[in-house]
Amino acid sequence: MTETRQTVRNTLALLAFLLAALILWQAVTALRWLPSYAFPSPAQVVARLWELAVDGQLWPSVRASVIRMALGFVLSAVLGLLIGLAMGTSELVNSSLRSVFLGLQTLPSAAWVPISLLIFGLSDAAIYFVIIMSSTAAMAIATADGIAHIPPVFVRAARTLGTPPRAMSTRVVLPAALPGIVTGIKLGWTLGWHGVVSAELIKSSVGLGFLLHAGRELNDAAQVIGIMLVTIFLGLLLDRLLFAAVERRVRARWGFAPVAARA
Amino acid sequence: MPPPAKIGLREVTKSYASRRVTVEAVGPLSVEVGEGEFVVLLGPSGCGKTTLLNLVAGFEPPTSGEVLVDGRPVTGPGPDRVMIFQEPALFPWLSVLDNVAFGLRQHAHLSAAERRAIAERHLEMVHLEGFAQAWVHELSGGMKQRAALARALAPGPRALLCDEPFGSLDALTRERLYAELQELHSTTRKTILFVTHNTREAACLADRVLVLTVRPARVKRVIPVDLPRPRDFYDARVSVLAGQILAELRSEMNQERGTTDDRDPADG
Repeated sequence: MTETRQTVRNTLALLAFLLAALILWQAVTALRWLPSYAFPSPAQVVARLWELAVDGQLWPSVRASVIRMALGFVLSAVLGLLIGLAMGTSELVNSSLRSVFLGLQTLPSAAWVPISLLIFGLSDAAIYFVIIMSSTAAMAIATADGIAHIPPVFVRAARTLGTPPRAMSTRVVLPAALPGIVTGIKLGWTLGWHGVVSAELIKSSVGLGFLLHAGRELNDAAQVIGIMLVTIFLGLLLDRLLFAAVERRVRARWGFAPVAARA
Repeated sequence: MPPPAKIGLREVTKSYASRRVTVEAVGPLSVEVGEGEFVVLLGPSGCGKTTLLNLVAGFEPPTSGEVLVDGRPVTGPGPDRVMIFQEPALFPWLSVLDNVAFGLRQHAHLSAAERRAIAERHLEMVHLEGFAQAWVHELSGGMKQRAALARALAPGPRALLCDEPFGSLDALTRERLYAELQELHSTTRKTILFVTHNTREAACLADRVLVLTVRPARVKRVIPVDLPRPRDFYDARVSVLAGQILAELRSEMNQERGTTDDRDPADG
């Protein structure tokens, strides 16, 4: 009872905050410090998004970005899990790859775009390459860390109960590392989303990144800000749709405290 | 039900070499544990008794000598000798029932329904039948250790290796588990090798207490316990015996004082 009341209160607080931010934004644009093509009002942004939706530009781009992301993310998650498993179970692999991956992680997603264009040219493969390079390392490291934090007694218990070595990864190591893996996959999702939009920004004729780029070319800040908002909204929405249930289940099983209510 | 195992340690030693020192943890030590016997290994903390149990479990090989189960040398861990640890080590990603059924996955001849039935029977044995679908963190400390006991018994091991399984429980829970473990031992007749540093626990549970020396662990004294079962933890005869065992342990520790240092207490 109190829990739902708390959720309601937090949601109301968030809505009030967003409303206040919108009002402030509208008020600031009314002062006309910057021309409206550089800093449009919320009303202009909404109007532009509506136009894009109605004239059929928005939907194909949303679909293209989401499909690219889905495919690229699945590839990169599988790669990240396998590499992470190898790192988590072999000290040799871990010490070889960890510092390289940590180094690669310092690169922003956009830094992968030029080399991917040189290698793959103007094809969708270039976009998948950017997604994979942006998110695989983070997922591999999170998986390896999740494995490193498994209490050794779990492995010993499984061994004494007769678990054959070949079944150890699937029955004990991966499930025991699940909390770390879920964290890694969520992080990988965010980084991959950065990657898609960065890659589309520079190459592509459809996609959220393309619409951002087109908005800049047309000196249309309302479109740029509108697409940025759509990108944020989609990223959050997909994160919740895909991972909220998994995360809740892991937390329930392990007995972790539930995440503070988020809207 | 498979017959209980006979465990033999023949002239076993175990030492760990690091760059600077070689630590001799065990031996040479010889012990024979009979079928269905309840043997308690008692020694001061860090004396090498956990190492001894690891050797029997097959987690580590001895440096020299032989570890035998029914006359065959131990080559690795196996479900014929299941170890129970100080912490319950239940898997948080599985329900309590699936934890108990975990060791049955290797039994390819059992159907899923049969595995479930066996697991349920063992949960009943430790009075947890109402918690089959609970998650591990929803159990109390004592319930967790009882579930761990059920998980160890479900695959039908011939010996149980207990490494201070009740060490972290409160006194009341522990005393109830002493009664339950004795009952399980008398109904299932498993061979039990039980490690502890608690003399009263040893007197209450054992058919035979082996008092170990300070590291390297050797058998200092064998104390047979002929008291009738089930034994109450506060039975006067258990107290008297625990006192004698304690005297034995103290004399061992006094003898060693000054001749060993406190470096590297590798195990408890």
